[in-house]
Amino acid sequence: MKDLDTANFDNMTTAEFEEYLPELFENSGGSISKDPRFAKFFQSNPDCAALVRDLETIAEQARSLFEPIGAGSDPSDSVWSNIASKLKEESTDKEEN
Amino acid sequence: MQTKPNPGFFKRNAPIAGEAEAIDRAKNGDPDAFAKLYALHKRRVYTLCLRMLGNVSEAEDMTQEAFLHLFRKLGSFRGESAFSTWLHRLTVNLVLMHLRKKGLQLVSLEETINPSEEDAPKRDFGSRDTMLTGSVDRVTLERAVALLPPGYRMVFVLHDVEGFEHNEIATMLECSTGNSKSQLHKARLKLRELLRESQALAAAPEPAAQKVSLGQKVIAR
Repeated sequence: MKDLDTANFDNMTTAEFEEYLPELFENSGGSISKDPRFAKFFQSNPDCAALVRDLETIAEQARSLFEPIGAGSDPSDSVWSNIASKLKEESTDKEEN
Repeated sequence: MQTKPNPGFFKRNAPIAGEAEAIDRAKNGDPDAFAKLYALHKRRVYTLCLRMLGNVSEAEDMTQEAFLHLFRKLGSFRGESAFSTWLHRLTVNLVLMHLRKKGLQLVSLEETINPSEEDAPKRDFGSRDTMLTGSVDRVTLERAVALLPPGYRMVFVLHDVEGFEHNEIATMLECSTGNSKSQLHKARLKLRELLRESQALAAAPEPAAQKVSLGQKVIAR
């Protein structure tokens, strides 16, 4: 991982910038594209700006996947049937012992 | 540089109506209360298993295991973290143990440290028209996530979807936090590539798009 404290983003190549990206994302809370420290760099490197915006979009949209929606999000009914019968077996075993 | 909290962390901690009471009652052996806990959390637990395993049958087996494990361990839940956080961590650990038992090196990250040429994200700085067009809908993203190499998928799901921190992921996957950060970045790069391919195919003439759309790749798995 690259050290962000010593980085000079104004005079950086795109390859160098990419090496900082994992740490930047972790430390910026996912809003690198709006960070004024990188404005000059993004202006000179629009492809990097596009990459960062895309990665931010992906990370943002990923949060929406946490809450499952729609058909196919539920396990089949047999899962609960199996759980219920195993729990019954276990409680019967407990009572017998 | 200031560290902002991961928004996923708070999302996982959202209280669910009736949950606390159901936990207390289930701890005292009330079967209806346990059934309620199952009803409240089955979707999230199953979806988590499905994303990690990529297989419906295995995901259902692990969902079953997770809830059986929950029943046995519920007495040890002290409420120090949100119940859903605790349950998801329990589920992740069970799935990882299952994968290790199967002898799969999915969690060693070996594969993602040295991914095959086909699986590794391509570096495309300098190329034109590199940006995703518009927003990414959740169905398309879900399909693309399913196409990620297992090691990338694991870290992406745990961090970006489930909201675990890198230090937590590092502990679970037995790797360094730096490695977790690096794998997450590669996973996002790979997703971008897959999503761009999907968008290009959607814009292509009908026969070409039909052949290799993301949806068909997923169905073929």
